[in-house]
Amino acid sequence: MRRRKGWRWTLLVSLVVFIIVIPLYFIAIGGFMSVEEIFRKPPYFFPPNPKLDYYKEAFFTLLPYMRNSFLISFGTLGLTLLVSLPAAFVLAKFKLIVNRFANILFTFVQILPFVAVIIPLFLIFTKLKMINNLWGVILGLSVFLVPFAIIILRAYMMSIPTALLEAAVIDGASYFKLFLKIILPLSAPAIASVSILVFLLAWGNFIIPLAFVKERSLQPMSIGLYNFIGQYGVQWNKLMAGSMIYTLPPLIVALIAGKAIVAGLTAGALKE
Amino acid sequence: MKIRRKGVLCIFLLPSIVLVVSFGIYPTFYNFLLSLRDVNLISYIRGTAKYVGFSNYSSILRDTLFWKAFLNTFIFTGLSLLFQMIIGFMIALLFNYEFPLKGFLQALVMIPWVMPIMVSGTYFRWIMSDNGFLNNLLMALGWIKEPIRWITSEKLAIYSLSFANIWLGIPFNFILIYTGLREIPEELYESAEIDGARGWQKVLYITIPCLKPVLVTTLILGCIFTMKVFDLVWIITRGGPGGASHLFTTFSYSLAFDRFQFGRSSAVVIIMLLIVIALVLVLNKVKLEEE
Repeated sequence: MRRRKGWRWTLLVSLVVFIIVIPLYFIAIGGFMSVEEIFRKPPYFFPPNPKLDYYKEAFFTLLPYMRNSFLISFGTLGLTLLVSLPAAFVLAKFKLIVNRFANILFTFVQILPFVAVIIPLFLIFTKLKMINNLWGVILGLSVFLVPFAIIILRAYMMSIPTALLEAAVIDGASYFKLFLKIILPLSAPAIASVSILVFLLAWGNFIIPLAFVKERSLQPMSIGLYNFIGQYGVQWNKLMAGSMIYTLPPLIVALIAGKAIVAGLTAGALKE
Repeated sequence: MKIRRKGVLCIFLLPSIVLVVSFGIYPTFYNFLLSLRDVNLISYIRGTAKYVGFSNYSSILRDTLFWKAFLNTFIFTGLSLLFQMIIGFMIALLFNYEFPLKGFLQALVMIPWVMPIMVSGTYFRWIMSDNGFLNNLLMALGWIKEPIRWITSEKLAIYSLSFANIWLGIPFNFILIYTGLREIPEELYESAEIDGARGWQKVLYITIPCLKPVLVTTLILGCIFTMKVFDLVWIITRGGPGGASHLFTTFSYSLAFDRFQFGRSSAVVIIMLLIVIALVLVLNKVKLEEE
């Protein structure tokens, strides 16, 4: 049992946390100010005459991009789960010769920077007609998120008692049945945490759509916002309002499911 | 567990392997092949890219921008790892107690990780621009007379970018170290107290030695993540001014997509990969010796 501290400790910690989250506050108020107010000297710490117009404008400009962001994030999530769940099951519960090979592959992809595959993928996708195609983005993201998901899921599935599976095998259950009826339901917490992490990583990704989607009507919000940094200067207030809108879904997820995020990240990193 | 009919199990593994090999491993190998050819967009589409051996490598190694990116990557990675870990560790110590609102505050610490990189990039680009928040504040306070060119000066840009990246890495370091702290048995501290240990002595002689494996793991992962950073730099400086803040990643990307020198860009990627792999192998060895 850890030692208890009172509200004074909470206050101290809050001060530290405040410094960490302050960017969010400034982004939020920037969306209520004119560009002159954003760049005023001395700077404003509160919007002097808050206007909702920039938020409205940013929202309607970003609406089509938002749709793409959701399609990409959920598409990536679906594909990643579909591919990584069965793989994690085998890696966690059986000793096959291919396991070692698979583990090396997945570890290698973990250390691979996006940039390392972006040029060849760009050339391959050009030939496959997958540039300016949401499937191209989903595939590009899944390559990196599948190994990430597998490592977390495998760590969790290893903690499911093998005796449960053996009992079912004696009763004549097939591998598919083991997977669907025992492993999947028991892995629910890990699946939840992985889903959240994969969604957040897909939602926030910048480089894959930057490289593969030039067609504006197919770009996600990250690139939609990047477009605000245009040739004619940056529309800072729209950029900040839009940034806030873009951050809202992940922020809500973090506040509701912070524990799941933490559990997933530490399982992937520490328990191998 | 006893295994019958292994073939069926391979079906479970197959999709993941096919995906990773065809869009992760194969492209990396393809990258290597590209690095041996004189590839630009036209020669690629026409299929006339000539084999040039290692001349992309030798021309890259003679490029001063490459060495700038090399140095920057090390400054950026070194500073990030050091300060992320120190700050993460200190915050973890703060959270190593029970107190009101702890769960909520912990969720807030995760915000830099949760925030999309485009948003944090925008924020840092704004506060650190020549007429941005930071300069306006410092000038209003009378601490400086001229704006400091945080991200537009060749000297400072990489340090400003490192600062932004340190902020980004706090949650991950915090959460791993915090989890490690929770696994240190309370009795160790209690017996040390009986022996008369003070606060900082407990940290030095109990916390840090017990945490060593976790710290090494965090360091390895941090090293991998930091060497991969691309977006933050691309959003804030695009590698500028004049290529002064390029990392390997942004340098390679700009060679490919700004100058269409795919062959040379691939050569940079291959060199970077070799360095990352060497680093990871060395750090892993340290980790194994630790255990």
